Amino acid sequence: MTTFDANGITLERVREYVWEIPQEDGMRAPARVLASEALLEEIKEDKTLEQIKNTTHLPGITDHAICMPDGHQGYGFPVGGVGALDAENGCISPGAVGYDINCGVRMMRTNLTYDDLKGHEEELVDSLFANIPSGLGGGGVVEAGVDTVDEILARGVDWALEHDYAVEDDLLHCEDEGMREGADPSKISQKAKDRGKNQIGSLGSGNHFLEVQRVTDVFDDAVGEAFGLSEDQIVVLIHCGSRGLGHQTCNDYLRKIEQQHQGLLNQLPDKELAAAPAGSQLAEDYYGAMNAAINFAWVNRQLIMHRTRQVFERVFDRSWEDMEMDLLYDVAHNIAKKETHTVGDGEEREVYVHRKGATRAFPAGHPDVPKAYRDVGQPIIIPGSMGAGSYVLRGGANSMDLTFGSTAHGAGRLMSRTQAKNEYWGGDVQQQLEEQDQIYVKAQSGATVAEEAPGVYKDVDEVVRVSDELGIGDKVARTFPVCNIKG
Amino acid sequence: MGFELRDHTADVAVSATGDSLEATFGAVADGLAAASCDEIATESGERFSLSVTAEGREALLFDYLDELIYLRDVRAELPVDHRVDSIDVESADGTEEWALEASARGVPLAEIDAREVKAVTYSEMSLERTDDGGWEAYVVFDV
Repeated sequence: MTTFDANGITLERVREYVWEIPQEDGMRAPARVLASEALLEEIKEDKTLEQIKNTTHLPGITDHAICMPDGHQGYGFPVGGVGALDAENGCISPGAVGYDINCGVRMMRTNLTYDDLKGHEEELVDSLFANIPSGLGGGGVVEAGVDTVDEILARGVDWALEHDYAVEDDLLHCEDEGMREGADPSKISQKAKDRGKNQIGSLGSGNHFLEVQRVTDVFDDAVGEAFGLSEDQIVVLIHCGSRGLGHQTCNDYLRKIEQQHQGLLNQLPDKELAAAPAGSQLAEDYYGAMNAAINFAWVNRQLIMHRTRQVFERVFDRSWEDMEMDLLYDVAHNIAKKETHTVGDGEEREVYVHRKGATRAFPAGHPDVPKAYRDVGQPIIIPGSMGAGSYVLRGGANSMDLTFGSTAHGAGRLMSRTQAKNEYWGGDVQQQLEEQDQIYVKAQSGATVAEEAPGVYKDVDEVVRVSDELGIGDKVARTFPVCNIKG
Repeated sequence: MGFELRDHTADVAVSATGDSLEATFGAVADGLAAASCDEIATESGERFSLSVTAEGREALLFDYLDELIYLRDVRAELPVDHRVDSIDVESADGTEEWALEASARGVPLAEIDAREVKAVTYSEMSLERTDDGGWEAYVVFDV
């Protein structure tokens, strides 16, 4: 048997790109890592493998916990972690969803080509930066009272439709049509709502960004056509989440679990994995709150997209409809969803699939894929660093068998933020990107540019190659940045 | 005595020491401010006070830092120059109630280039006595 020794943790090769950490003391299931040896060399360098092992201690873990090819160390659950926890006998874990509930990515198409955009880059990046709130304390597209926050939490993008921030077609190209069922605004604390009300329609900072991109490659013509993508086309990618409202909700529930379910917590190797037992009041409350925060994040991305359409209208002096600025799709990559899966013994089970830094990747024909894409599979958007390309994939035929219908979510960090700031200076990174790659970057903070420099990320090409080879998410197209704004 | 920012792949960690629990909590909070902003204005902003209670010592540290992040968002100010005036504990019926009184100076976010620290985490959190009778703390923040 081929094994890989990762600083004291031995992984056994199941087949190409599939590695298993066998079940041992305290683990309720084996852990799997989906990676090439090159990616494993990077993954073994931090605590990712220890963290994916720890997640198998959660009650009700089904088949195995899985680390995606872009996995890296997080808190509790690794980033790039997928765990299906039995919805009847298992648990739901706020820590395994993460602080930024429904952090995710959406892509909007245009009918502009790169040639149409050339010469307008600076004007466009300046106008986007001036009009789309980013960073700390920058406000939101909408400043609202708590009543409005409650409506957004309950109705998601349907609220945006009513207030002319969305069109019907946007809803048809979003998971759950932009409205998560079972959302319960009353389970979100006043503190969380107070944080959220000034941030509706804002990017935040860190790794969140808005990018104007050009499509450089279409690898699969038929699926590319179904997604409306062609070479040289301009698209817009928006990456952000539920802002302070989601972060507060996660911590509110971590603390409640600590106070009410100490017994379960004491069985877990990391306090950050805190989970509420399935069927408990707290599990119900958290699920209602998380679904509401999911709606908030969708509206957040919708408002940013709406504002982006207005900016394009001004810069190009055409209506957004005329530029066919339509939503391609919106994917969440910090989320837990109750889904039905066929598990190891062939039985159908309801499980809470936790995807933290992982993206749902349902294949063609799955009833939960929106009608627009059901014949080709769900679109998956994988953002790369600001110097590398991003990818559009589609849910692969093997995803239901291998990963509870999931794949990677990005490039995955390689270098810490403190180290990045020692190695790079924001101004140099910005200048280099503009001169060498014609990428125009604008940020609230130079430190953010340094922390997000292309060199701090893993090779997104390798992450996507492994996803494609495994058949969990198949390559459809690649994009390259033109303008990037961040906090 | 004081704090250091430590490497963490995705996030940022603060390691802090102090000769009392109060000084240590204050140093972690100063670390949180430093992780949010490289150049902290020395004079801008008014001081404000805050009180936090929790059921344990670590929980108090968690709730204190959580409250500071909450106040940052709702006041639109970055809390800096932290002072923890008192940490008291009362025990009754086998449960403890910990209470903290603190203050900070709130620098308006509009005046500085601050980055968002999303949340305090329990991941790898430690709060322990040192051999010389002081305290040391390690806290990972989600960025």
